[in-house]
Amino acid sequence: MKSPLRLERRLTQPKKLNWLVPLISIAAALALGAIVLLLTGKNPLSAYHRILETAFTSKSSFSGTLVSATPLAFTGLCAALTFRAGIINIGGEGQFFMGAVGATLAGLALSGQPTAIIILSMVVMGALFGGLYAVIAGVLKAKFNTNEIITTLMLNYLAGIFLNYLIFGSTSYWRDPQSMGFPTGKQLQPRAFWPSLHIVGFTVPLGFLLATILGMLLWFLYARTRFGYEVNVIADAPSAARYAGMRTRWKIISVMAIAGAVAGFGGASDVGDFRHVLDAKGLQLAGYGYTGIVVAALARYNPVSAVTVAILMGGLTNAGYALQGPNFPSGLVGTLQGLILFTAVAGEVLTRYRIRTQKSGALSEVAA
Amino acid sequence: MNKRLTRKWLPAVAVLGLGVSLVACGSSKSDTASDASTTDTAAATADTMASTTDTAAPDATAVGSTSWDTNFTPWKDGKPVNCKPATGPLKAAWIYVGPINDGGWTQAHHEGLKAVQAKFGDQVVTTYKENIPEGPQVLTTIDQLVKDGNTVIFGTSFGFQDAFVTAAGKYPNVCFEFETGFKSAANLSQAYGAGEDGDYLAGMAAGAASKTGKVGYLAPFAIPEVIRGVNAFTLGVRNINPAATVQVVWTGTWFDPAKERQAAESLISAGVDAISSAQDSPAAGEAAKAKSIPWVGYDSDQNANFPEVWLTATTYHWGVYEVPRIQQVLDGTWVAGDYYGGLDDGFVKMATFGKLVSADTQAKILAKQAELAANSGSQFTGPIKAQDGTEKIAAGASASYGDLMGMNYLVEGVLGDLPKS
Repeated sequence: MKSPLRLERRLTQPKKLNWLVPLISIAAALALGAIVLLLTGKNPLSAYHRILETAFTSKSSFSGTLVSATPLAFTGLCAALTFRAGIINIGGEGQFFMGAVGATLAGLALSGQPTAIIILSMVVMGALFGGLYAVIAGVLKAKFNTNEIITTLMLNYLAGIFLNYLIFGSTSYWRDPQSMGFPTGKQLQPRAFWPSLHIVGFTVPLGFLLATILGMLLWFLYARTRFGYEVNVIADAPSAARYAGMRTRWKIISVMAIAGAVAGFGGASDVGDFRHVLDAKGLQLAGYGYTGIVVAALARYNPVSAVTVAILMGGLTNAGYALQGPNFPSGLVGTLQGLILFTAVAGEVLTRYRIRTQKSGALSEVAA
Repeated sequence: MNKRLTRKWLPAVAVLGLGVSLVACGSSKSDTASDASTTDTAAATADTMASTTDTAAPDATAVGSTSWDTNFTPWKDGKPVNCKPATGPLKAAWIYVGPINDGGWTQAHHEGLKAVQAKFGDQVVTTYKENIPEGPQVLTTIDQLVKDGNTVIFGTSFGFQDAFVTAAGKYPNVCFEFETGFKSAANLSQAYGAGEDGDYLAGMAAGAASKTGKVGYLAPFAIPEVIRGVNAFTLGVRNINPAATVQVVWTGTWFDPAKERQAAESLISAGVDAISSAQDSPAAGEAAKAKSIPWVGYDSDQNANFPEVWLTATTYHWGVYEVPRIQQVLDGTWVAGDYYGGLDDGFVKMATFGKLVSADTQAKILAKQAELAANSGSQFTGPIKAQDGTEKIAAGASASYGDLMGMNYLVEGVLGDLPKS
């Protein structure tokens, strides 16, 4: 028996869908959320007002949103780059960890240097560690056709264990020899802290600014260079790419290297902007790498959009913490966040597919 | 070949290079003064920490009878901080790392919140934030709480500590209570308690319950606080059965029910016939129940949920400390300091005994409990030997507060290694 509804790929994508579908998605999410809120005896209007206020509309709240958005912008970019190239890199998490390891090493070792040199070295080391770590999975895929979903996921666990080893399992260079009770990492010197920029009353972490610039550069790389063109061809038509003499394997490895470097850059920013220490436990609890995949999906793997979506995601995260309390269980917050993401992803499908109903053999279109 | 290779890699290198040069520009232009210089203000406070073992009266201390403040020492030069609002009720907030119903650590803290709310009614408005990840979000959450008018803030995960130190500097008129860590500030207190006393008593219950003398133990991290618990527990086990051993597994997590259960199962299949878990969730109890293995829990009384296998547990009662502290805020007498509660003031309590603990064993445990209430830490009276047989505490000598706080060896009878350092 056939389902009366089916999806059909659109041959053309009308331009108006680009703004209409997200708008309808958000409206649908808010409407569904309102039903849930009413059923649980809450006032949807005051809840939504609180979300807006604590995420976006007040200056200090928006500064907090940017803090939450910064790591997600990097991991979102990392995922977007590889997914766009047809590589399912789940490893942003581990690459981010390794970047933090490399950047902390630089930050601690160069603590006597001027701030600019420390920051520069932290970025280079973070990108290097993250990039090299990603290359492991890249080489395995390119040379042996290993499934990168499995390898990158496994490498995430490995990176987590490595963090635990550095801080809990050994007296490594990263561990604070003075830490009483619970082992912690060595703190960076204040001069190694990345400065925040104060722009018209907003506090913008340096890392966020860099992520924004990086997003534009990566957009340029993918949309305007020969490298980007070849990556697109390889992703969309691998056999055509091979027939045209494109070096598929090298592309896979390079894309993984760039994406890993971006995630590692994020790890450097996380250490430099916020934690100022290799926080083995906190990094693993945060799950930036995995949230980055959601960010990339919502941004349709567009690097510039990824940074924007990271802001929305950061706002949603912060609003969630602000909203919950004795009268607002965190499970309900999670439900609202889930609804918004779910409708956003579902709506995104409608830009590429249309729903058709099937009545006695005749097809009729129901959704624009 | 080489040339081609370089060309293919060029975009990647160029992007990295550009990014790197931009970093240099960005940082040289921007203000290098940092708004969060925390390390200087956060003095490690080993020397100012209270040594409760010395001050506790040695004679006739009934369990839970003394006042909390016998176990509290203000910081040196501590002055009262006025964090009571000029008008309206006092607003107090708790920040948790886990969910309020985790069946352990966070739940125990949430009981403290409930005790405060029940005691003060309209005078105090309590709120809480759960599942807050350690990291930048902690400070954002504190900012929001202060903005919402909260002037007393409790932090309940070690990983929040640096954010709390920063916040204490940023908001000098907010009282910060930290449970548990070690850094201090004029408006930042530390609180914890002598879990090792309860662990010893729980060890006695496990020692009596094990027929083969093989006991298992799930330990989160190899840190002094946990090592102290493992050792106290082992001493308790061997008080009942001097030949018994305690097999330790390091789980590397405070709260991860799936992992905890797995670790418990591996211990059981390795042949232990009694098990203890110093973890935040009761997941090990599920594994124990499936195999009918007597189980010692941690930080919550699970007798009702696991009657077939329950022995007992060390539990913490944060309300013992938090209620009088809120009273002090209302009275304007709140001073930051260090609290180390015990069996004497009721901060540490044994959970109810399960039906597997015989009347005879219960009597032995209760007698020892009175002893430990009067003299916390006395289970570490020498001779105490490390695993390799070297004497750590000489016969007749007792462990100093420093010995207990910095414990970094496993006692004889523990099977399993500490990570090399």
